[in-house]
Amino acid sequence: MTPELPWLWAALLAYVFAGSLAAGGLVLGRMPERAVLAMIAVGLALHAASIGIRWERLGHGPFITMFEILSSNLWSLLFIYALAFARVKAIRPSAAFVLPALFIMMGWLLVTSPRDGHFPATYRTVWLYVHVGLGKVFLGAVLVSVGIASIVLARSWGIGTQRFARLPASERLSELAFRFLALGLVFETLMLITGAIWAQDAWGRYWAWDPLETWSFLTWLMLAFTLHLRATLRVGPPVGAALVIATFCVAFLTFFGVPFLSTAPHKGAV
Amino acid sequence: MIRALGSVRFTLVLLGALAAGVVALLALDLPPTWCVAAPLFALTANLLAAVATNPAFRRQGPLLAFHLALAAVAALAAIGRLTYLQGGAEVTSGQPFTGEMVGFERGPLHRVRLAEAAFVNAGFEIDYAAGLRRGPTRNLVRWTDEDGVARRAQIGDQDALVLRGYRFYTTSNKGFAPRLVWTPAGGAPHEVDLHMPSYPVFQFGQELEWNLPRSGTTVKVSLQIDEDIIDPEKASRFRVPARQRLRIEGAGAAAELRPGESMALGGGTLAYVSLGSWMGYKVSYDWTLPWIFAAAATAALALAAHFAQRWRARPWDVEPA
Repeated sequence: MTPELPWLWAALLAYVFAGSLAAGGLVLGRMPERAVLAMIAVGLALHAASIGIRWERLGHGPFITMFEILSSNLWSLLFIYALAFARVKAIRPSAAFVLPALFIMMGWLLVTSPRDGHFPATYRTVWLYVHVGLGKVFLGAVLVSVGIASIVLARSWGIGTQRFARLPASERLSELAFRFLALGLVFETLMLITGAIWAQDAWGRYWAWDPLETWSFLTWLMLAFTLHLRATLRVGPPVGAALVIATFCVAFLTFFGVPFLSTAPHKGAV
Repeated sequence: MIRALGSVRFTLVLLGALAAGVVALLALDLPPTWCVAAPLFALTANLLAAVATNPAFRRQGPLLAFHLALAAVAALAAIGRLTYLQGGAEVTSGQPFTGEMVGFERGPLHRVRLAEAAFVNAGFEIDYAAGLRRGPTRNLVRWTDEDGVARRAQIGDQDALVLRGYRFYTTSNKGFAPRLVWTPAGGAPHEVDLHMPSYPVFQFGQELEWNLPRSGTTVKVSLQIDEDIIDPEKASRFRVPARQRLRIEGAGAAAELRPGESMALGGGTLAYVSLGSWMGYKVSYDWTLPWIFAAAATAALALAAHFAQRWRARPWDVEPA
């Protein structure tokens, strides 16, 4: 067993505890918000230790294997969500949806082999950190948007109506969800730009329509389409919420599906 | 008419068309030029029409800057496709690159000036970790700049040598290069560096067929390496083997040569001088790249400025007037 695994397991336990508190709070009508945030923070600290220990042991960051990518993205998603949770009160009830949804990622992480990976020569560039960092902020912003959209959808389906009664109207929540989505668009644009610079640096071409590039561009188009659609057709909050969740699904597939189905050089296997 | 062309509803249709084009590109492996260029062209027309007909659009400076920057990215990418070059070259260590490519593609407006981008491959080092894991390539190169000053540099997997706008990157494609001198009967000697198949990818297939210059004779050349070059069990470094032989077969003769030895072949003499190495380079040229990055960065910053301006003006939890 590698030394970082116990830290990771402890972190996952803290996340599961936080998610259970949030979901239980929704059912019981009173969420212990401070406790949820505290447990997420504890989980993040343990998880950061796990990533740091592995980084030190292997001499490279969490960029190569499925295990590393899942682990680092889980950390960044929860970090960004925790920031939003701490800063924007209206987001807090969404923890009952967001954290259990992330349990799927945690389960996936647990069944993924923590084997060591080879750090390719073309990954030795500062652009890797910039590109990956911007991508994480993008996905985190869209996750927060999904959390808010979940409340809007739950309300429209009559779920947790009492618990969500104190929150602003669905139109206002929808506005907030779309602001986070817009933030996601800014960061995805930057991610694509820095990715192109890295590709030029690493492989002598800035864009080659490899599957991951193509899906990233499709995600960008989906974001642009969703934002234009809301501005033009003035869609209602439930439809807007569904669009936000659909956009997240495309982004999630791009991040976690395409790199592992494709054998293109974008994987770094050069 | 122009108002309809510039409508946001039409933008939605075109974004959908562009997404469909991208999916077609991915699923059907169609050429990007046709799948993407047509909707991009239409989106540019849609944007210009929107700028002309929608005063509110013109009033929102950052939003306008964002869309114009996007249009600039599309236009520059299109121009780049007309003037680009992408290809590969192989250069023997110690020898100059003289513009000869092993294959390339270029835009219709690209004027090939590769011969002006001459440099010497002064040798390279590559470390391997256990498990045949390739580390960074360190390739020394020499060239003479436009002022006639001799220059040298170390390039690698992502540290390109940039000459006359051409970017040269080392690749994982490299191998051994036996130097042979073929002297036909009564003729002048020809010195040739053969590039054996890439190593270690074709570790067990170090052979090729070679047409002896001006003889019409083809011989099979096999490099027999009598030592481990890259040990898969431990860290190693790519190097030219000290213990090796060259097997020559053809024209009714066969022999194994060591450096310095020669053989009679088809009425002439073939001498094995030495064993060196060669490096495969990826070569690219696209002058639009820095401009595309500048336009794309402008787009992202303008978008951020647009949202910041809008959100400052109206908090999310306040009902619009």
